[in-house]
Amino acid sequence: MSQDYGVTPNDIFNSMKDRFRAEGAAGISSVFGYDITDAGRWKLTVKDGAMSIDKTDDLSGCDVKLITDSATYVGINIGKIDGMQALSAGKLKVEGDINTFALTSRFFVKFVAPGQDAAPEQELLVLKKVISVKQRFATGPVMGKFLKGLKVQKILAIKCPECGRLQSPPREACAICRVKNTDWVEIGPNGEMRMMEYCYYASPDPLTGETRETPYGAIGILLDGCRDEEVFWHLLRPDQLDQVKMGSVLNGKVTHGSRLRPVWADNRTGGISDIKYFEIDA
Amino acid sequence: MATFDTSDCYVVEGKLALPYTYFAGRVGSTFITTLRDQRKIMGVKCNACGKVFVPPRQTCERCMEDIRNNWVALSDTGEVVNFTVVRYDDKHLPRKAPFVLAMIKLDGADTPMAHIVEGIDPENMTEGLKVKAVFADQTTNTILDIDHFEPVK
Amino acid sequence: MAYRKKNRNVGIVGIGETKFSSHREDVNQPEMIHEAVRQALDDAGLTMNDVDCVVHGNMELFEMVHQPDMWHTLGSGAFGRDSFRLTTGGTTGGTLAGAADNLVASGMYDVVMAIGFEKLQEGHTTGGITNMADPLWARKLQSGALTAQAAVKLITEFGEERARRAAMTYRIIMDKHACKNPNSHRAFGLEWDQMDDLMTTSPPLIGELRLIHMCSQSDGACVVIFASEEKAKQITDKPVWVRDHITVHREETLNLCNNYYPTETTHKFAAEQLYARNNITNPLEYFDVFEMYDPSAWWGLDWIRDFFLLEGDEHIKLVENHEIMMDGKMPINPSGGVIAANPIGATALVRVAEAAKQVRGNAGPHQIPRPVNHALASSFGGTMWTVLMMLEKELNW
Ligand SMILES: [Zn+2]
Repeated sequence: MSQDYGVTPNDIFNSMKDRFRAEGAAGISSVFGYDITDAGRWKLTVKDGAMSIDKTDDLSGCDVKLITDSATYVGINIGKIDGMQALSAGKLKVEGDINTFALTSRFFVKFVAPGQDAAPEQELLVLKKVISVKQRFATGPVMGKFLKGLKVQKILAIKCPECGRLQSPPREACAICRVKNTDWVEIGPNGEMRMMEYCYYASPDPLTGETRETPYGAIGILLDGCRDEEVFWHLLRPDQLDQVKMGSVLNGKVTHGSRLRPVWADNRTGGISDIKYFEIDA
Repeated sequence: MATFDTSDCYVVEGKLALPYTYFAGRVGSTFITTLRDQRKIMGVKCNACGKVFVPPRQTCERCMEDIRNNWVALSDTGEVVNFTVVRYDDKHLPRKAPFVLAMIKLDGADTPMAHIVEGIDPENMTEGLKVKAVFADQTTNTILDIDHFEPVK
Repeated sequence: MAYRKKNRNVGIVGIGETKFSSHREDVNQPEMIHEAVRQALDDAGLTMNDVDCVVHGNMELFEMVHQPDMWHTLGSGAFGRDSFRLTTGGTTGGTLAGAADNLVASGMYDVVMAIGFEKLQEGHTTGGITNMADPLWARKLQSGALTAQAAVKLITEFGEERARRAAMTYRIIMDKHACKNPNSHRAFGLEWDQMDDLMTTSPPLIGELRLIHMCSQSDGACVVIFASEEKAKQITDKPVWVRDHITVHREETLNLCNNYYPTETTHKFAAEQLYARNNITNPLEYFDVFEMYDPSAWWGLDWIRDFFLLEGDEHIKLVENHEIMMDGKMPINPSGGVIAANPIGATALVRVAEAAKQVRGNAGPHQIPRPVNHALASSFGGTMWTVLMMLEKELNW
């Protein structure tokens, strides 16, 4: 995936003079600091429609400072890394007003690496935004009862009065039989590993905007008291990803997976995080 | 309505937070960069129906004509054809309430565009008011590169 | 199952597809859509005045633009016309085609234009998909649209070596097809001798699902125009007839992270119902080409069994023996499929469009070499949902 065209931060800073558009810098008077932790420091001064760039260890007097590593800085400049995401992932930090940094896109023509497609003949505007809206989710009585159970370290399932299948997290009705689920049973809390999604890539959690640490394991556990497809969905203890064994049922032939137990959070609030993860029940 | 036991019902606070990007395209970019760099408001004219659209568009939606190259320079003055007074505060709104959002038909255009009117007490706003664009000092690469409109003195 | 005979026959009379690519900075959404609209109108020899209704769809939360059908009137041609917006996740394109078919068959409209689009570069796809999940439980767990469950199951059933080779064979076949399709977003020119290398060096996303196996994130639009039998015969001498379509959705709870066989899939359920009511006893013999919504090589490989109601390892053998290539027994995705281009709200409509082009015989460089009389197109989305559509060259069933 290393498609950086052999570009270094030096190449990008050296090309700034050629990429500068005086008309875009009208009315801007700022000093920008760049601390590329594994490559050096640069100071960009923009004033009266002119600019200068200096490689210097002294970043005092900068209005705003950007701190990142070479791979991230190059990636953003050649369009391979999204700056906002690098920022939210902690790969890039800004000291000072981030909007000041956004001004640089006004007075610099986009950096084009040798071998990259040539820049378009026209400036094409691209707006980057983050939508962030507060939400409130009503649990309802069924999900509420289940989540409250977690507070007291109980995993509850709801049972279909017709087909007898268990659902956990529970649903108010069995969508297969189209009847209201009525009976509650306690399942687990220990069980047997069925399948793990060994995730090397994580997308942002839309509830927080934060991206999870990788790798992580999303797992399906057949909790004691459940059968067939009634698996429970949660996470595996991160340091045990390579130690577990998956189980399966292939046309009636059963292969047993690792035995697992939940690790409960100390502070339980009635949510999925009341269980930190499952770990091997040795 | 039957009552039911709500003792297990509660509310969980959440959030929807996701990054997104908007590509303005050639026509939209030309409109904004001209506004930003030259302080000129441009529209496009449909040669089939004769209408001048602002903000501009690539296609006349009525005639399905390609009008992307038919640029015409418009005046930075126009007339309020409709307006409302925004009287509540929300973080997504461009101004503190109360403020005036108006539909302004620029001189030379056939379609009105929405923008903010300042420099007049909201209670004194009237349709037909002549207004003039005030350009923003700081660019956002959006229609807010026109900061607001104000009454022509 | 409530199923009624059509009120009247419906034919596909116009098709438009943009080139699919990773990003389109030069056009905004309505401008991109307009390219496909213009192409479909030209293909049919119609103007917007001939179109009675527009159905428009994409996947919500992908571009973070709400009510896109409204501001897309600047390019969609829907100004002053009846218009509906549909959004059913990945199946959106299939739902659009099904809805257009129903709207014409019912007699409500003579000519209906279906528009599917996506500009995935504008949003965050896996983030958007994760938002589909239950906020109280699954959003913390779901890994967007990425999953290796099909890989785990195929490995459990057929052994690691055979399953991995078959999935990579499927992948390379799709790339070979994509290289012939000028609209492809991704066409790498993969060669058979790269097989072992790709199986180990392509970056893993989840388990045995590697980057090379997974579909692209594309920008693009697709438009298909449907017309009543009478109109269709006036408009073109090569209408493609929509014989039937079926939609199967399942409950919201994702049955994820399981390893339990056999699992009842919506694909198999849909296929069984559709073939039974159309008296098709051997789908592998009946159909001449299949455009499958295959989000990854693992899923594509696994699903062949469900769609053709096969037993045991018959589906693996079809792939191993290259019978799914253009000149094989059952050509699958001459277009290169979803791995080659995936503008999600358009993707399933592209399957219908590509299948229809194969029936017309003018698909271009990726036209299969023998006549196509019967074609099948599938859609996939939501919590493992299915839409299947059957297309015919002749009105003779
Ligand atoms: Zn016009």
